[in-house]
Amino acid sequence: MDLEGKKILVIQTHGVDTPTRTYSPIYYAMAAAAMEMEVTVWFTMNGTNQLRKGVAEMIKLDPSSNVSLKTMLEQALDSEVRLGVCQQSLNLWNMTPEDLIEGVEIMGATSIIDLALEADHVMYF
Amino acid sequence: MGYAKVNECIIPTDLHIAVKDNTWVRVNEDGTVTVGMTDVAQSLAGPILHAKSKSPGTARKRGRPIATVESGKWVGPIKSPVSGEIVEVNEELAANPQLLNTSPYKKGWVVKMKPNNLEADLADLQMGEEAVEAYRKKIEEENIPACSHIEGTEDYE
Repeated sequence: MDLEGKKILVIQTHGVDTPTRTYSPIYYAMAAAAMEMEVTVWFTMNGTNQLRKGVAEMIKLDPSSNVSLKTMLEQALDSEVRLGVCQQSLNLWNMTPEDLIEGVEIMGATSIIDLALEADHVMYF
Repeated sequence: MGYAKVNECIIPTDLHIAVKDNTWVRVNEDGTVTVGMTDVAQSLAGPILHAKSKSPGTARKRGRPIATVESGKWVGPIKSPVSGEIVEVNEELAANPQLLNTSPYKKGWVVKMKPNNLEADLADLQMGEEAVEAYRKKIEEENIPACSHIEGTEDYE
């Protein structure tokens, strides 16, 4: 099957309060990007809070490893995964655009609807 | 087979190396090329858990993925250093993906390809002392940690 150019939308609603739910969606997004798909990860609800500067560095599933959630997010961006955050969910966490790590796009609710309709598959976490 | 060691990373001097993408090319007598990933790549990835190559018959332009590899901390493509068609994949990697770690330049080869623009592609790769120096620069500039080698790693001789 030719997967190249297929579009995957990953919706991440889990954040720093549930660290074990943070890594896998990013990892799957990187896998899809490695398989030549166009991938967007959309952070909303609790998912938004992992994008606050200085936070993802603190989340390490394996304390003996030097890999943090920040490493994963940076690797995803290096793999050309698009990271988007819901504008409205920033307010939920008293965050401003300046609080976000670099490379994250702020999008409105209409954008997520467009992305969902354009995607070949949506993965919801 | 000659090699140099930079920051504990083995850099063969007899292979064509795409330093940017951490891959290598060996030109075979039958006109095919063997492609794999470098010691630096295996060390950055850590122990590989899965490797999945594109099927024989797949045409690839240079820079497109010939395989995807997964470790506990990373998943990404191995980018083809040449343009051409995949003619053979290393079937052993499916059962034993850590050959990529223990023998990146020999048993851990990834695919064989029939190149279609080899002369031009090789001109953009580096070999010998030039490759070693390019890697030395990359390792310094990108702050790449010293290469680590898992148990069972074979010597490159």
